Amino acid sequence: MPAPVPISGPISGGEGPSDTELLRRHVAGDSDAFGELFRRHRDRLWAVALRTVCDPEEAADALQDAMISAFRRAGDFRGDSAVTTWLHRIVVNACLDRLRRRAVRPVTSAGDEQALEALLAHNPDPAGATDTRLDIDAALRMLPAPQRAALVVVDMLGFSVDDAAAILDTSPGTIKSRCARARARLLPYVAHLRGNRSATERVSPAQGGDT
Amino acid sequence: MTGHPESDVLAEFQAGLVTGRRRASIASHLAACDRCAGLSDQLGEIPALLAAAPALAMPDDVARRLDLVLAAEAAKRDSSERTVDDSPAHPPASPEPRRRWDFRLVTQRILVPAAAVVVLAAGGFGLSRVTGSSSSSSAASGSAAAPAPSVQPASGTAAARSGATRGSPAIVAPHNFPVVNSGTNYLRATLRQQLETELRQHTESAAGPHVLASGSLKGCVQRVTQGTIPGTLVLVERAHFQGQPAIVIVAASGVHDTAWVTASGCSASSDHVLATATLPGTSAP
Repeated sequence: MPAPVPISGPISGGEGPSDTELLRRHVAGDSDAFGELFRRHRDRLWAVALRTVCDPEEAADALQDAMISAFRRAGDFRGDSAVTTWLHRIVVNACLDRLRRRAVRPVTSAGDEQALEALLAHNPDPAGATDTRLDIDAALRMLPAPQRAALVVVDMLGFSVDDAAAILDTSPGTIKSRCARARARLLPYVAHLRGNRSATERVSPAQGGDT
Repeated sequence: MTGHPESDVLAEFQAGLVTGRRRASIASHLAACDRCAGLSDQLGEIPALLAAAPALAMPDDVARRLDLVLAAEAAKRDSSERTVDDSPAHPPASPEPRRRWDFRLVTQRILVPAAAVVVLAAGGFGLSRVTGSSSSSSAASGSAAAPAPSVQPASGTAAARSGATRGSPAIVAPHNFPVVNSGTNYLRATLRQQLETELRQHTESAAGPHVLASGSLKGCVQRVTQGTIPGTLVLVERAHFQGQPAIVIVAASGVHDTAWVTASGCSASSDHVLATATLPGTSAP
């Protein structure tokens, strides 16, 4: 992929061996290298898993599947993307596989939107910082899984559209389209998300499904 | 354009997915319509709002569980590599200290196959050592200057005796064979019948205590069997002959077995053959 991962995080400290070096050591038989690579990125991998499947137990199971798969398939990594992109790809695909197999969360339905409205109604102080995460996650839960995954990878994790396309195994155009539709769907809740109810009137939620 | 664009059209416009005349039309509408311009601004805020979402830390229990899963994967990979490393044809190139992992919390499903690999490796290890040494034995005798006979355990007895050799360290090429300590007192008059009985027992089971041949006994066997046609070693037994400690050597060659009885001091440099006998082959039916 053309652009390196434009995110700062625990990776950017520059201490210790690079991700690529750790993966190389793992393939060469180093028993500890993969565990170190995992510990380095686990919070971000957890975030993407949890926000893609919207359920902590499902997220843990998906992450376990993904890490075993990555452990065993590390020899297939060819270095044409960043190691983090490769790891996220495996995690996101494990999550989407789970969602497909088990239909853990129904895709957007009137029921979900009503549930969200009820949630918002129960929150008299939307400016309260403590509930921000809950609100964002509740809003994300309304999205169809493919849109949600695209939005999490691009907007929340900061991957480029091209990297997101590699992670989600689709085209950059599809990533852009999914993100656009997802943002349109979240538009009625922007004011709430930023803690200001005043601008929410007169906005109708976008209709239509995933591209 | 009639009316306001839908919000998903605005989002696609922002994402650069709307082109041509339609794009120009939306752009001019946004310049004239405060409502749609406001929505467009809100859409543009969404990525920043999502990016500002509090980071999630992996819960400790999930982190611990995944650490253990990866540790089990690493241990499983190590043990399967070990079966390759330890075979005689692949000596370990660079032995690294193996990390000891805490398995207590790992599920049975993960542990059981790993343990099975280790056990199988130990079994295969013993067998491959026996096989490897007997094949090197024939290679060494084949390349010897003297017309030394090929000395190998007969297939039936070798299989029966491998149980005794497994786990014994330091099997030395070129000749390796188990030695039976029988305590039998062979008599000249009944030597042939006694040997037939003894051989039958040894092809049926690995009866009697076995030890590995000492260096001098190997030399003895090589010296005694020298000059005979190549065959396979069927039995080497420490026993008695006419009441005196003796060594009984039986080799199969062709359809017959040949037996030698030597005094117990036999070595590569001296032997004292007390008796010989020719027996019907035990290895050939």
